[in-house]
Amino acid sequence: MIPTRRDLLRALAGGPLLLVAQRPAPMTSAVTSVSGVVFGVETFSFHDLPPAGDPQLIPTIIRNLQTLGLAECEIMSGHIEPFASVMTGWWVQSRRSPDFARRREEAREWRLTVPMTYYRDIRRRFEDAGLRIYLYNVNFNETFTDAERDRTFEAARELGAEGFSSSTVLSEARRLVPFVQKHEMFVAMHNHNNLVDPDQFATPASFETALAMSPRFFVTLDIGHFTAGNNDAVAFIRQHHGRIVNIHVRDRKRNNGPNRPFGQGDTPIADVLRLIRDNRYPIRCYLEYEYGSFRPSVDEVRTCFDYCKRVLAS
Amino acid sequence: MTAMARLCWFVLLPAVVPMLAIGARLDARQERDAGGFKAPTVALERGRAVYVLNHCHFCHGVDLTRATMGAANLTQSPLVGADEDGNIIGPLVKAGLPNLQTAMPSYAELTPEEIVDLARYVHFLRQQARFKELSALADTPAGDRAAGEAWFNGAGSCRSCHSPTGDLAGIGRKYDTATLRGRLLRPGPTMLREGVSPTTGQAAHLRLLENYTPANVRDLLAYLGEGAR
Repeated sequence: MIPTRRDLLRALAGGPLLLVAQRPAPMTSAVTSVSGVVFGVETFSFHDLPPAGDPQLIPTIIRNLQTLGLAECEIMSGHIEPFASVMTGWWVQSRRSPDFARRREEAREWRLTVPMTYYRDIRRRFEDAGLRIYLYNVNFNETFTDAERDRTFEAARELGAEGFSSSTVLSEARRLVPFVQKHEMFVAMHNHNNLVDPDQFATPASFETALAMSPRFFVTLDIGHFTAGNNDAVAFIRQHHGRIVNIHVRDRKRNNGPNRPFGQGDTPIADVLRLIRDNRYPIRCYLEYEYGSFRPSVDEVRTCFDYCKRVLAS
Repeated sequence: MTAMARLCWFVLLPAVVPMLAIGARLDARQERDAGGFKAPTVALERGRAVYVLNHCHFCHGVDLTRATMGAANLTQSPLVGADEDGNIIGPLVKAGLPNLQTAMPSYAELTPEEIVDLARYVHFLRQQARFKELSALADTPAGDRAAGEAWFNGAGSCRSCHSPTGDLAGIGRKYDTATLRGRLLRPGPTMLREGVSPTTGQAAHLRLLENYTPANVRDLLAYLGEGAR
């Protein structure tokens, strides 16, 4: 598209970013594949990033991906938006904070007013580096207004994401049905292992309830949390592979046990990876480092990745 | 002075001194890793290992001050404030909190020794954080002298060791408010060292430090600063 005179004047008024953001986005087809299995990373794995809103945050994530040789990611909203994700209401405990209502309203106001060029610029930075944001990780919850849900879908599209991964609950999934239809995007439900609250995603039944709500609902299966909830990840993937967008690869012990270095927990990482490889399931495998170490996160993610490579080589 | 000696003094020394300074800075930098600052004693460093390798810091923060993902702020938690060597922390971390939205894992495999190390490290971090928080208290609103006296003689148990007409007589004249507050919060050494344990009195003050409210501190300062003159 050739910019008009009005576009140029608007761009000059808005600074150089606007000029860049209005050009057609370059197509990127970079994929990191090991034995036919596509790998990426959940950016939560990078625990030592600059804080939300810091200008070095996105460049650091990009540099980490390049260092690791991983071409795509699921990026947390807290790494996109200039405020901590606790301000957006997912953690019920955080809603008890005395200033939560004010901070939540500030976050909403930001979401409703930020120009879409903000997201386009982030997408451009990833694509210029040969990388891709495949999923936008937003934890939809009852504190969202409908206008906010709409804007969040628009933001995901501008980021270049195919859809969402979301730590959410069944009651919120019902509210999201018209939004996935309207925006023609999917939401993949991410599980934890709270087996007490029936609204949480933690069991095969909870996923199946959501999958029945909309054909645009999918699963981000966190195989570590799933195992910590004493579920069988291999059996679930065999049964539902057509509705699983990606898995979070981590190793936890059963019975709500802790995260452990890959290969030291109870999670059937090797069986899951070989199942995906041997059946050519189009399920992306996103590394998630959370077991604790004195080393920088990027070094530990590399260790996780190396473990997966060894498994897939055998 | 020989030519070689002059060379050493005038050429090499100016070059070596900055290198030594840089070396010292590097050493200081190396004191920090992905699990926070290294602890000042071997025992506390063992506790830090339990804390970090069981990924407590990802939710509760490397220094307890940046809790995230709905985790409890351990600098303010009454449970941690009441804990002694893991008698409360231990059962809680071993059982986990499976009913939380993002469940806190169960650390059932921790040994009794690891629990004690972990608890002592958490208390150490809490004392650092609370000292920083309470030292930065604004001077207003002014404390309530009567409430300070009541706390001194009651809940704070200060009377069991101190007397405003004895060891604390005139303390309000001796120190300015900031110094008095510092001594009230942490009368012992500012940093623990290997082989040096806090005295019984210092340990009692560290325990108080973990549990003071801002009002307690302001009230005590009003009582000691104005009353014990």
